[in-house]
Amino acid sequence: MVDPTIRWKSRKKLNLLNTEYPRVDASAKVTGSARFSHDMRLPGMVYGRLVMIPASRATIESIDLSQALATPGVVLAELAEEDKDQVRYLGDDAVVAIVCGTSPETAQDGVRAVQIEWTPEDNMLISEEQISAPDAPKINRRGNLRQSGERGDAEKTVQALGSADVQVSATYSVPVQHHLCLETHGCVVDYNGGDEATVYASTQAVSGNPGSFARHLGLKSSQVRVVCQHMGGGFGSKFGIGLEGAMACRAARQLKRPVHLMLDRKAEFLMTGNRSGSRQVMRAGASKDGRIVALEVEAFKFGGTSGGSLPTPPYMYQVEEAYAKINTVHQALDGNRAMRAPGHPQASFAMESMVDELAYGIGMDPLEFRIKNLSDEAHHRQLRRVAKEIGWDVHPNRSGPGKKPLASGQRPAGAPLPPAGDHWKEGIGFGVSRWGGGGHGGARCEVRIDSDGSVTSSCAVQDLGTGSRTYVGTIVAEELGLGLNAVKARIGDSALPPGVASGGSVTTGSVAPAVQHAALLAREALEKKLEPVLGAEPGAYTFDKGRVFVTDDPKKSLSWQEACALLGRDPLVVTGKHQGKLADGGVHGSQAVRVAVNTRTGQIKVLDMVAVQSQGLTLNRLATKSQINGGMVGALSYALFEQRVLDADFGNLLSANMEDYKIAGAKDIPRMRALIDDDDMRPTVSGMAEGTGVPGAGAIANAVYNACGARVRHLPLTPDRVLEALKDA
Amino acid sequence: MDNPSAPLPSGQSPPDRISSESSGPSRRAFLGGSSAALASTTLASSAGVARARPQDGPRLTGLSKLTLTINGEKRSVEVEPRTTLLSLLRHRIDPPLTGAKEVCDRGNCGACSVMIDDQPAYACMTLAVDLAGREVRTVEGLGTLDDLHPVQAAFCEHDASMCGFCTPGFVVSTVACLEQEPEADPSRIRELLSGNLCRCGTYPHVFAAAETAQGMMAGGTLDAAGSREDKR
Repeated sequence: MVDPTIRWKSRKKLNLLNTEYPRVDASAKVTGSARFSHDMRLPGMVYGRLVMIPASRATIESIDLSQALATPGVVLAELAEEDKDQVRYLGDDAVVAIVCGTSPETAQDGVRAVQIEWTPEDNMLISEEQISAPDAPKINRRGNLRQSGERGDAEKTVQALGSADVQVSATYSVPVQHHLCLETHGCVVDYNGGDEATVYASTQAVSGNPGSFARHLGLKSSQVRVVCQHMGGGFGSKFGIGLEGAMACRAARQLKRPVHLMLDRKAEFLMTGNRSGSRQVMRAGASKDGRIVALEVEAFKFGGTSGGSLPTPPYMYQVEEAYAKINTVHQALDGNRAMRAPGHPQASFAMESMVDELAYGIGMDPLEFRIKNLSDEAHHRQLRRVAKEIGWDVHPNRSGPGKKPLASGQRPAGAPLPPAGDHWKEGIGFGVSRWGGGGHGGARCEVRIDSDGSVTSSCAVQDLGTGSRTYVGTIVAEELGLGLNAVKARIGDSALPPGVASGGSVTTGSVAPAVQHAALLAREALEKKLEPVLGAEPGAYTFDKGRVFVTDDPKKSLSWQEACALLGRDPLVVTGKHQGKLADGGVHGSQAVRVAVNTRTGQIKVLDMVAVQSQGLTLNRLATKSQINGGMVGALSYALFEQRVLDADFGNLLSANMEDYKIAGAKDIPRMRALIDDDDMRPTVSGMAEGTGVPGAGAIANAVYNACGARVRHLPLTPDRVLEALKDA
Repeated sequence: MDNPSAPLPSGQSPPDRISSESSGPSRRAFLGGSSAALASTTLASSAGVARARPQDGPRLTGLSKLTLTINGEKRSVEVEPRTTLLSLLRHRIDPPLTGAKEVCDRGNCGACSVMIDDQPAYACMTLAVDLAGREVRTVEGLGTLDDLHPVQAAFCEHDASMCGFCTPGFVVSTVACLEQEPEADPSRIRELLSGNLCRCGTYPHVFAAAETAQGMMAGGTLDAAGSREDKR
């Protein structure tokens, strides 16, 4: 039975939600007082470091820890596994020992003093040639290359291709991308012996992890508290405790003192997962009137020892006849993990590029071609909006790449200008996204009101930087008519009512309904206390601006303080749970990009990015815009800069630091506009951040083509690739 | 399908850039033949590398005592020759100052940004032993929770932090930027902030905050100095 009183306030009546307001922990973050796991300092704490063999395949001959143990300040040096004699892949399997020291430097001294004798294998199983050599060892028990998915009718697709007016064959590839969380993976285990431990973990799953830590501490779940007040990024890579968490527990258990084990930057690159790479070999056909009549795809996913991620094509667009075969390629490398919309940016880059190639192939405006082949009305209105914002309507190159620099009047007012010179060509590209979001059950929220008027809202959810802490408080403040900081939000502690793991943009849809339910229950309970004083029944009150009054007789009122004083000695405590009707998945996004391309050097400069994103009711418009910006920046970085570089001979990662693995910086950032799609009037909430990082890379590649005719089909869009592609333009 | 020997499409760009030597003696052969050779790995030659400072006499070893000023307070500390300012702040003083973050530990990201004698610096690239008599300002020395520096207030107002791990570094760099060049135009501000990296993609709000703070530091107020675009 659906309770009609369980709902969000109507948008017109909202004072806090759906407005722009700062996050409640902003001042802690800007003053440096926000404490991350990395920043925990405990009495007697030691620092742990992992020892890794720098190769993907090796036989371990011997490991001598004696010099490490003799190093001043080192308190523990231990093998990861007693009889480990092989490294099977470059990742957590290459960890052979742990060293703990009284300072990070002494722990590192201990690591340097570990003597390892090892023999590299002949075949490092990294390049495609290596893994497909006839005598190549199997990385996965099912082989190094295997078919992992198939959909559609191959024969009918070939026939449909034959009937198409225009056919395009192209191969698109994307490299492996790292999450590159600024706070590395790891935790601080506060254990001094006995039957209780607290783990300060950089984790996306506070409620879900006590059991894993407990197992490695030899304790029960109920004896372990996991705390994560702030975390420096996760992006999908921080769900489990990892080998680093297990090793930290083991060391703490043995030493009976707190252990701080946060990975160093190189280990972070080597063993904490990544976004899998892909190669998509495509043939597609379109009719002259703008329908995609056929798409044939053979895709290869590169997920190291894991399977890789890729939604089965066709992605997003309507295709009349499609056939897809998916292959998984295993390399002796760290397995991929979820990363902000797993598989989707890879699929989007290939599909948005192909859609663009078809549109230009039949001589149709690529915006109109998209609208014709997208089924959701939300995309149609959004694409028209971003097209207008980016200046497509006055853009001269709407049916093919430009030849000349733009003239004044061919850009909208205020559009950022390209650098000076005739060799800078300007173009526009588009992309779209759709994401599930919504929420699921399991989350609980406790609201407590004390007689002094203070209010606490508690849920063990973590805040990855999305603003979840803020809405755990402001949802309650909104319902009780209080101000922005009137409700103390308590999150990030497994001792609180459970939250959910933050993945798939489901945190908001799972947690916020439980918070709203708790707020409604608290309000109802308080109204019962008001009834003998103000005379009206529960349900007949309005809470606004720190006062409570009878809706039909506003003279009958109490201040918030007076109302709470009625509670006496016992605080009012209620627990809300997830309410399915308060959340709804299915969010849409559309993006447009304007770039300038230097046709002499191949340099790409993104000038302008605009996104419009739907999500139903927005809880905090400012934090939502931050996340939309974040998605666009991530996609820009993926499009232009990021790539893992490996040495196949030695089986090592060459791009294992932040100077060799480049990400977008301040000077790479264009004008950005993050627009919220207020035409989505659903009275429900949903996360949306994952979708915002999906379309950007394809849109940028399409804009590059539109600017100068260089169709670059491989990420990143480096200058050499642009120049190479210009030869065919 | 279980077919490890199936050919892969050829002539296509691999998803990773892979360095491989196709001709001439391989590096492994140079090392003496893969099957026979034992690679003896000591991950570095010696513990603790001291910087040679010939003008000061003999090579530094052990702990050196020095006095420096941190956020206006004179501090006497003991450091090893290799101790970085970042490690000093985070690990060798009590209570520690953990606002400056260790992210790359090699001067790539700016998360450890501090000011030394009012000049911006990467704490991870600065040896503490060189700082005798110098004045260090960290994010903790700029403002407090109850009394924010204008840059910090503007960062809050514009939501210029997401996860917050890069934030202290960006705050310090923004303060340094605006103290040194109060008239910096937006492109110059970006230039001066280009030594700091953010992974959440907060940049647009950081730039907006910097411009607002610029107005505040020039004598305006938060409200008068600038407003967010598309404010409802």
